[in-house]
Amino acid sequence: MMPPVFTPAAFVRRIGFYVLVGLVAAFFAIPLLWLLTAPFDTTPAYGVQVPDFTLGNFRTLLANEQAMISLGESVILALGSMAVTVGGAALAAYALSRVAVPGRGALLYLLLLLSSVVTGTTAMVPIFLLMFEAGLIDSRAGVVLVMTGGLLPAAIFILKDFMDATPRSYEESARVFGARPLQILWHVVVPITRPGLATIAVWATVQVWGNFLVPFILFTDPAKQPAAVIMHTFYTEGGQPKLALISAFSLLYSAPVVAMYVFVSRRYGFRFHGGIKR
Amino acid sequence: MSEIELTGLRKVFEGGVRAVDGIDLTVADGEFFALLGPSGCGKTTLLRTVAGLESADGGTIAIGGDDVTRLSPGDRDVAMVFQDYALFPHMSVVENIAYPQRVKRVPKAERQAAAAAVGADLELAGLMDRRPGQLSGGQQQRVALARAVAARPRVFLFDEPLSNLDARLRLSARTFLKRLQRELAVTTVFVTHDQAEALALADRIAVMEAGRIRQVGTPQEVFRRPANTFVANFIGSTPMNLLPGVAVEGGVTVAGVRLPAAHSVAAGTELVVGFRPEYATASAEDLPGALPGRVAIVEHLGTSLLLTLESGDLAVGVTVPEDAEPAPGTSLWVQPRPDRLLLYDAGGGDIIEA
Amino acid sequence: MAQPTSPPAEPAVADEAAPGRTDGSDAAGLGRLRAALFVTPALLIIGVFLVFPALWTLYLGVTDYRLTGIAAARPSFVGFANYVRALTDPLFHNALWLTLLFVFGSAIIGQTVLGFGLAWTLRSAPRWVRGTVESLVLLAWILPGVVVAFLWIALLDSDRGTLNALLGTAGHAWLVDNPMTVLIVFNTWRGTAFSMMLFAAALAALPPSQLETARLAGASGWQTVRDVVLPHLRRHLLTNTLLISLWTFNDFTPYLITAGNPDHRSEVLPVYIYLTAIPGGQLGFGSAISLLMLVINLALAFFYLRLLRERRS
Repeated sequence: MMPPVFTPAAFVRRIGFYVLVGLVAAFFAIPLLWLLTAPFDTTPAYGVQVPDFTLGNFRTLLANEQAMISLGESVILALGSMAVTVGGAALAAYALSRVAVPGRGALLYLLLLLSSVVTGTTAMVPIFLLMFEAGLIDSRAGVVLVMTGGLLPAAIFILKDFMDATPRSYEESARVFGARPLQILWHVVVPITRPGLATIAVWATVQVWGNFLVPFILFTDPAKQPAAVIMHTFYTEGGQPKLALISAFSLLYSAPVVAMYVFVSRRYGFRFHGGIKR
Repeated sequence: MSEIELTGLRKVFEGGVRAVDGIDLTVADGEFFALLGPSGCGKTTLLRTVAGLESADGGTIAIGGDDVTRLSPGDRDVAMVFQDYALFPHMSVVENIAYPQRVKRVPKAERQAAAAAVGADLELAGLMDRRPGQLSGGQQQRVALARAVAARPRVFLFDEPLSNLDARLRLSARTFLKRLQRELAVTTVFVTHDQAEALALADRIAVMEAGRIRQVGTPQEVFRRPANTFVANFIGSTPMNLLPGVAVEGGVTVAGVRLPAAHSVAAGTELVVGFRPEYATASAEDLPGALPGRVAIVEHLGTSLLLTLESGDLAVGVTVPEDAEPAPGTSLWVQPRPDRLLLYDAGGGDIIEA
Repeated sequence: MAQPTSPPAEPAVADEAAPGRTDGSDAAGLGRLRAALFVTPALLIIGVFLVFPALWTLYLGVTDYRLTGIAAARPSFVGFANYVRALTDPLFHNALWLTLLFVFGSAIIGQTVLGFGLAWTLRSAPRWVRGTVESLVLLAWILPGVVVAFLWIALLDSDRGTLNALLGTAGHAWLVDNPMTVLIVFNTWRGTAFSMMLFAAALAALPPSQLETARLAGASGWQTVRDVVLPHLRRHLLTNTLLISLWTFNDFTPYLITAGNPDHRSEVLPVYIYLTAIPGGQLGFGSAISLLMLVINLALAFFYLRLLRERRS
């Protein structure tokens, strides 16, 4: 290693480096600033401005029945889909990881293919029609099942990887002591794979919480629409957008997502799974 | 009574690898029994088949006279200690030790008291509330043993129980393990690739190669009188001398030197002459029945030295006391002890009885 | 379920789905039957809500299915009419072209270049600089789509938007005058995090000795990147390009910002399908276009999976 030498050229390069990094940081920061200032401003506008501090916007939000109900709907949809996804994926991933089911390799290959190919966009027309024909428009369970169907392949794939990496000797040990398969699952496998299960749970929750397209096409009743759809309604409906409401709503609606990401990366370390986002 | 009886036991893996290839073996009640062999010899598969973690493809396993071949592992009344200990990371030490009782639905207070008692016996008293991740390797190994003991099984199965410990700790853990087995007097089978460990611990040893047992015997028998050249090569901390020879009346000749040996083979038969470096003496002058050679390599073994001599085309090993270090190039004569000289068939490698 | 662990007189085989045939890897002794049971619920949901819709597009695409009217009650078979119409429809051509621009500009150029640049420069930056920039980039990635869409609408507002204030271009209506440019810059902003993290992970796995060798040989920064880093990252580069292309190609967020306006000038394929099929009610025609998208997705995914397989073997 060479000792650091502070030549003028190196100094200029260093300045240039920080200017560049600063510009990139500004590019990413500027659109986000509004989310920090507007919710606390007595007179929020489109532009970012130093807020005339108030919490009144949040009082407006709390008083808005439609917004609050939609947040509740988001919670129901997100937790419901999360539960079905984690349950279904954990069982399937465990069986696929530990038992040589015939055609296991092909099945996993197909799952991976499906999870990347059949996107919300390509499937929206048939899914809309399917739910329409089945009378499941405006059905929470219907939306939960559609969301779960989209999340399961990736969830199974990631969890199977996780379980493959867990030593079998834990289960074998319990088994020699006389534990039955379901006991082993409950006593040993679930606690040991908890970081993986938690990651998938958070991932599924965030996916459903933020999803716009599926509830947008499957709910026609505004009383059942989740926050993503209601938020969109707020800023596209006619007249002057209610920025006080929208800004506070945006912040409250975004906060759980950020909190969950922070939780997962603090608690379990950020595991980089290719494509965990979608 | 809980002796283990294996009859014609076979385990074939997908692809036709015969990991266990027709094994007949009886482990006596209370015996400390070692399965020894190089990696891939099938010793761990044999142990796992006895545990029920692998299903037998042929033959039977009986424990205490009951045929357990088709039973699931939990019904065989065995306890196993895994190479990686398999301590549940989310349970405390006491919960780990109490786990076998939890499976048997023993009430919590009762099983925890029992676990605490076992833990105290195994010098774990102060550690009962810790998680396995907070323990040293030696402590983890003792927790794994305690968990097996707490199951009160008829048979212990240990898979390389000492291999995850560092060298210094391994010796004290070895003594601990032997004392524990003596006190409990539970039939124990353990797997190891370390011949010194097998010799030190076991009442009897089965040496395995390619899914078969090549010799069963006490440590003394296996060390002194390996039944074939494979075992002769595998056992012993210094490699046994295995030299080509020719039978003569009342002895053998090796590189033209006549060594006295009792045998019943026809004169002129080619065979392999074996003796351990420890069972030979080196001297500075020519003796009857001694192989001449020049010192090529000197290795320090602690209290002794291992000399490798070049004798014509042959390499001959001999140990000498530490204070008699010869310079390389010195001419020496190596005289094997006649009563420790072993003769093996040159083709199959089996021992030739006197 | 739990039986006392005593020497049983009769084999307790009833508990094993396949007694004596349990596979060596079946550590918990699950057995095939239970394994099949475990897999069933997930496969059922995937089958009904993912596989069936995908296959159904095959059928729907050759019908004149509509949401209302006679064709809603009794759709009739129209053969390849929908596909012929799609291939001759100038609006479809427009959507396809805009989507290509969108994928090429924001994913292949924008996210990849910016993501690599960030991963490379932040590697040697002080901890706090790295932490701050990474957090900002990640934040853009994790916030809900509806929220970031509105953040950009606010940013670009012609009268009071922050961008016009910063650039001194008051009154410039970005969303009307440069809708595709806006979408491309927006998606670069939105998705760079993935490329940045993928490249950062790949760079962390690069043996330092190789970089040091290049330095000792006197290579400049750019030479090091060209001769040592890029060859090492070729696989990751390909993985990254395929994945983000696939995602960008299917991204519905443009609808939230411009909704295809003005005058179809930002109408990428996902928006086009939505507008045609759902508010437009032309489900058969929309399905035909969905199938075309599915085929493109399939091609990209196959390419990606072949890559993964090569890496595993």
